[in-house]
Amino acid sequence: MSDNSYTNIGMSGGNRYPSYYGPGGRLVFVDSALEAVNKGSTTIGIKTPDFAILSSQIKPTRPLVEPSEKIFTIDDNVGATGSGYIGDILQLVDEIRLHAQKHRVSFETPIEIGSLARHISSYLHSFTIYSVRPQAASILIAGRDQTGIQLYQIDPSGTYFRGSAFAIGQSSEIALEVIQQGYKENMDIEQAIQLSNNAIEKALAEKPLIATGVILKEGTFKKLLIN
Amino acid sequence: MTTIVGIKTKEGVVLGSDRRASKGFFIGSKITQKIAKVDDTLAVAIAGQLSDAEYLIRVAKAERKLLELRRGFPLSVKESSRLIANIAYSGLKSYQPYFVELLVAGVDDEGGHIFAADMSGAITNEVFASSGSGSPIAYGVLESAYHTDITNEQAKEIATKSVAAAMERDPGSGNGIDILIIPNLPTLTVKTG
Repeated sequence: MSDNSYTNIGMSGGNRYPSYYGPGGRLVFVDSALEAVNKGSTTIGIKTPDFAILSSQIKPTRPLVEPSEKIFTIDDNVGATGSGYIGDILQLVDEIRLHAQKHRVSFETPIEIGSLARHISSYLHSFTIYSVRPQAASILIAGRDQTGIQLYQIDPSGTYFRGSAFAIGQSSEIALEVIQQGYKENMDIEQAIQLSNNAIEKALAEKPLIATGVILKEGTFKKLLIN
Repeated sequence: MTTIVGIKTKEGVVLGSDRRASKGFFIGSKITQKIAKVDDTLAVAIAGQLSDAEYLIRVAKAERKLLELRRGFPLSVKESSRLIANIAYSGLKSYQPYFVELLVAGVDDEGGHIFAADMSGAITNEVFASSGSGSPIAYGVLESAYHTDITNEQAKEIATKSVAAAMERDPGSGNGIDILIIPNLPTLTVKTG
C-alpha cells in the first residue's frame, strides 16, 4: 500500500504526504493530464511584434461527421486554441470568455492578455490542490492589448509562459524544433502560417487539415478558412 | 425627466434624445449621452436612472457577446430586448429594481425593430415610441407625423421635431438633440407585398 500510495486518494494508511504526491514529489494527476495533452492534436502559436497566429491540426473524423472547432474567438482582441480533451478545452474557453466580458462590465475596456492568462492559470491550479480531475488541456492565448501583441501558453498545472512561439500536443517537440529553426522576428503572416504548417506536417509526417486564427496590430481576432 | 423617441422605418430605425440630466430642480448636465450604442446594429435610448441604465446595458452587452461567441451568430433585436427585460425583471423581483425606461432599437435579418422595455420587465414591440417626462408632448408630434412608409431621413426629421417640441414645454428636457440612425443590414432583402 505504501509503495504505490499515490494511487490511493485520501490520507489513509499513514502516508507521509497527501496521496496525490507521487514518487519524486510529482503530482501524478497533473502529470497524467499533461500526458493526455501530449496525445492531443498538434497545436501552435507564433508571435512577432506585428501579429500572432494560432493554428491547430484538425483530426480526421468519420465520414458525415464535422470535426470540432479548434480556434476560438475570446473577445474582439483575443483568440485561443488548445490541445487535449476537447470537452475540457471548451470548458476553459467558456471560462476565459466570461472573464474577458466581466472585465468589460467592470472597466469598459478590453482585458489585457496577461490577466486572462493569469486567470485561467489560477482556475487550472485550483484543480491541482483537491482530489479532483485536473483539466486535460493546455491552452494557447493570443491577443493584443496596450502593451502590444501577446502570446501565452497555460498548462494543466496552472503554469503559464509568455513567449514568441509555442507548440503543444502530439509530437510538439518536433514541431517546436522546426519553429525554433525557422522563426524570424520580421517574418510576415504568410511566412508564419507556412512555418507553423511545416512544423505540424513535420511533427505528424503527413499533411493534415489545419485551422488558423490571426490577430494583427489593428482590427479584431480573425479565424481563417481551414486549409 | 428626459425625452427619448424611437421610430421604425422601412430602411432601419432612428433614435432621438435630448441632452439634459436633471438633479431634482437643477440641471445636472447639459451634454448627457442618452443613446448608448451596443454595437453597429443595436442601440438603447435611456430614460430614468442613468446609473441603472448604464449598468443594465453593460451587463446585457456582455451576455450578448458571450452568446454570440458560443453560437456563432449575433442575437436578434427581439432576443436582445428580452435579455435586457429579463435582467430588469429579476431586479424587480428581488426588490432592487432598475429605475429605467428603455427604447431598444436595432436591425437584424428581418429589418428594423423598436422595443420599449421598462423596470417591470415588460417589453412591447412598437413602430414608434417615446419615453421620459417629455414623452406626452413628443407623442403629440409622433402621432400626427408618423406614417408607415417613411425613410430614415424623414424619421430623423420627425424625431428631431418631436424631441424639440418636448424640450419647449417639458422642464425635464432640453439642451440639444442627439439622433442615431441605424440602417438595415446590407444583406437584407426587403419583402414586398
